[in-house]
Amino acid sequence: MFKACGWGMSEFSLVLTSARVLAAVAAGCRALEARKQEVNNLNVYPVPDGDTGTNLALTVKSVLDELQSASPELTAQELCALVEEAALMGARGNSGVILSQMVRGAMEELGEHGFVGSAVLPAVLRRATETAYRAVRKPVEGTMLTVLREMAEAAEAIEAEEPQVALSELVLRVVDAGWQSVERTPSLLRVLADAGVVDAGGFGLVVILEGIARGGAVSLHGLTPEALAVLPSRDEAYEHAVSPFTYCTSFLLKGQDMNLPEFEAALEPLGDSLLVVGGPTQLKVHIHTDEPGVVLALATARGVLHMVEIDNMKEQTLARTERLRKEEGETRTGAGGSASVVMSAIGQDGVDEAVLTEVVAVVAGEGNKELFVNLGATSLVEGGQTMNPSAEQLVQAVRRTTAPEVIILPNNKNIILAAEQIIGRVEGKAVLVLPTRSMLAGLSAMVIFDPHLSADTNAADMQEVLLGVASGEVTRAVRDSRIDDMDIREGAFIGLIDGKVMATGPALLEVAEAVAAHLVNDGSEVMTVLVGDGEDHQEADAVAASLAHRYAASLQVDVHEGGQPLYPLLLSVE
Amino acid sequence: MTEGTARLTRANTCILVDSTADMPDDLAADPNVSMIPLLVRFGDESYRDWIDITPPVFYKKLRAAKELPTTSLPSVGEFTDTYKQLKSAWDNVFSIHLSAKISGTIGSATVAAEAFSGVTVIDSGICSSGVSLLVKRLLHKLDEGIDYADFMAYVEWFKRERGMLFLLDTLEYIAKGGRIGRAASLAGSLLSIKPILTFSDGLVTPFKKARGERKALQLIVDTFLEQTKPGSPVYIAIGHGDAPEKADELLKMLEATDREIVLSCIGYVGSVIGTYGGPGSRVIYFIQE
Repeated sequence: MFKACGWGMSEFSLVLTSARVLAAVAAGCRALEARKQEVNNLNVYPVPDGDTGTNLALTVKSVLDELQSASPELTAQELCALVEEAALMGARGNSGVILSQMVRGAMEELGEHGFVGSAVLPAVLRRATETAYRAVRKPVEGTMLTVLREMAEAAEAIEAEEPQVALSELVLRVVDAGWQSVERTPSLLRVLADAGVVDAGGFGLVVILEGIARGGAVSLHGLTPEALAVLPSRDEAYEHAVSPFTYCTSFLLKGQDMNLPEFEAALEPLGDSLLVVGGPTQLKVHIHTDEPGVVLALATARGVLHMVEIDNMKEQTLARTERLRKEEGETRTGAGGSASVVMSAIGQDGVDEAVLTEVVAVVAGEGNKELFVNLGATSLVEGGQTMNPSAEQLVQAVRRTTAPEVIILPNNKNIILAAEQIIGRVEGKAVLVLPTRSMLAGLSAMVIFDPHLSADTNAADMQEVLLGVASGEVTRAVRDSRIDDMDIREGAFIGLIDGKVMATGPALLEVAEAVAAHLVNDGSEVMTVLVGDGEDHQEADAVAASLAHRYAASLQVDVHEGGQPLYPLLLSVE
Repeated sequence: MTEGTARLTRANTCILVDSTADMPDDLAADPNVSMIPLLVRFGDESYRDWIDITPPVFYKKLRAAKELPTTSLPSVGEFTDTYKQLKSAWDNVFSIHLSAKISGTIGSATVAAEAFSGVTVIDSGICSSGVSLLVKRLLHKLDEGIDYADFMAYVEWFKRERGMLFLLDTLEYIAKGGRIGRAASLAGSLLSIKPILTFSDGLVTPFKKARGERKALQLIVDTFLEQTKPGSPVYIAIGHGDAPEKADELLKMLEATDREIVLSCIGYVGSVIGTYGGPGSRVIYFIQE
C-alpha cells in the first residue's frame, strides 16, 4: 500500500545520507511545485499577495539547490546543518520563514540522532513545532503552526500505542492527521471561518510532507477542489488575533549571560503573546501587555535595549510623540558647485566624515527606487507585497554595502521576519532591522536618515518618525469575498489601512478618498501619494490630482510616480 | 590692536560690521555702528548689498533669476579707507564679520587692520542677524562701559553659547548654488522636506530635517527649549527671506513658551545669505544671559 514511498524507507529506521536527504527534499519540492499555483490562486483575502505557495516552494527549492551542489559524502550532522542553513537563507515571506524554523527544529533533532525512525519521528516533529512556535511573534492557532503541532501529537500518540509501527506507515498516518488538521483550521481561526476556507500555509506544509512520503505524489486527502478554490493566504490572519491587552511591545535586548527562561518567566505574568527568542547575548522580545513600562524596566535590569517598539493596539496609532530628539546631525549633502565664497562650506564638512551606516531597502517600482536612492539608501532589493525577497537576497544586499553598520527597511510586514533572520549572519556587519510595514513608512523614515550616525541612533530617530506616519493602500480584489462585514466583488477597488479593509467599491476615487479620510486627522500635515504602474495608472493619476486638490487647503500633498505594481495608489499621512 | 587702558564706552568705541549682518533699521541708525557692504551681482548688474538693493527688491529679482546672483567681498583697500575714516572719529574700532570659514571678508579686514592701531577684527563664526544680535549685546556693554578684556571675553562667550537654527522653505536655491546634490534636492522637494541648518564650528551645517512646515517649526521650538532654560532673559534675533508674517509666526511660537524672550531684532535675511536660503527661509539666533 505504501510502495510509492519516495524515501525508500525501511520498516524501522534510516541512516541519513546525502542521497536519501536529497531524494526526500526533491520529492517535497516536486509536490509543492506542482501545487504551487493552486495555493497561490487560492487567495481568499482580496489583496493580490497570493504568494504563500511561491514562498514555500522557493524556500524548499533553495534547500534542494544547496544539497545538489554539496558534497555527496556529508555526515548526517553536516547534512542537517546544511539543510537548516539553506532553509533559513532561502526563506521568503512569513510562511517561508516559519517553515525554515520548523526545518531548523527538525534538523537539530535529526542531527542529534543521525538517523530517522518511528521512534525518532515524533521527537523530530515535536522539536520542529516548538522551534516554530518560539520563532513566531504572535503564534495564532488555525495556521501552519497548529497543523504541524497536531501532526506531532498524532505521531506521539501512534508511536506510543504501536511502538512497532513501521516508519513508512507512521509517516503516512501523520500526513493523514495533517490533512484533518488543515480541515479544522477554520474552526480555530475566525477569519478563515468567516471566509469559509482552510489555511494555505498549513495546506502547503502537508503537501510538502506528503510529497516527501510519497515520492512527490499528493493525495489532497478528502479536500475537495471547491474547498481548495477558496484557500486563503495565512499571513493576514495573524494580524487579526485579538488581544485583551493594549500595548504590543517588542524590543531587542543585548547583554551578557542573559538567562532566557528566567526572563521569560518574569515577563509571563505581564501579558500574553509572549515571545522571547535568542541567546545569552541577544534576545528578541515580544509581548502584548498593559504595562510596557514594567516590561522595559525588567529588560533594562538585564541588558541594553534596542529597537524598542510599543504600539497601542487598541488605538492603532500611538499619540504623536511631541518632543523631538537631541542628537545632532542630519544627512550630509553632497558638495560641489562654484558660486561665491559665501556659504561655500555647506555640506563640505561632511565629505571627509566616514559613512558609518548604510540602508538596505526592499522596494518595488522604479519611481520609488529613485526616491529611496535619492534619500540615501545605498542597496536596494526588489520586492514587496507580491514578491517577498529571500533572506539570502537580503544577505547579499547587506554584503554589497561597505559601511560597518546596516539598517534594513523591509517596508512590508511579510518581509520583517525574513529580515530579522539575517541579524548576526553577515560577518563584520552590525545589522539592524527597522520594522517598516509599508514603503511609505520606509520613505518617511529615510527622510531623517544620517549615514554618519550609528545604526542604533538612526533607528531610534527613524522609529520615532514611524510613530507619526499612517499609511494605506488601494488595490483590486482578486476574487469575491466577505471581510469585516463588507462584500467585496472581484475586480473592485479595495482600500486598506494596516492590512485591514476600510473601503471597497468600483470607483478608485471613492475608495482612495475613503482611505485618505481615515488617515487624515487634526495633526496631519503632509500627505504622500505614490501612483502605481499598470492598467489603472491613468485613473490613479487623476485621483492623485483630485486628492491633492481636495486637501490643498489643509495639507501639503506630495504626489509621485512610484511605479509599484498592483497598487494603483499608496498613501501616507504624517 | 588696542589693548587700551581706558574703558570702552559709547564715547570712544565703534563697531563696524559688513552688510551680511543684515541689521535691522534701529541698529543701522545707531551712531556707534557702521557698515561696509559686500557686492551682489545679477549678471552684469552689480549692487551694494543693503545700499543699492533692498531685500524686497533682491528677493523679487532672485525669484525671477535663471542664474543665481554672485557676491564679492570688500577689498583690502575698501577696509583701509573705512578704518581710516572711523579711526579719525573713534579710539577703538571693532570690526565684526561673518564666519571666516564661509567668506574671505575677514581676510581683507585683517590685512587692512594691520596698518592701524586700535582696530580689532573679530570673526563672529556666524552670519546674518546673529551678528546683529551680538552687536546689540555689545552696545549694551558699551552703554555701561567695559574693559577690553571683558569685551573680548563676552565675544568668545557669545560665540560659544549662542544658538542658531536656519530653516529653509525650499532646497531649490541651496541646490542651485551647488550646495547639495541635485538628487537630494529632487527627493527633498518631492517630499516637502524642510531642512534645518545650523552654524557649527563656523560652518553652515545640516542639523535636522522635517517633513512639512509645522513639524519643522516645532522642531525649532523644541531645540530652542532644549538649549535654553527658564528664569533668565533669552535675547533673540529673527531673520526671514521675504516672509515677515512667517517671522512673526515663529516669534509668537517662541513667546508662547515659558522662556523670558527679549526680541533684539527681527528683519530680512539680506541678499548674500538670501541667495542660498531663498525666499521663505527663517533664521533664529538666541543667547541666554
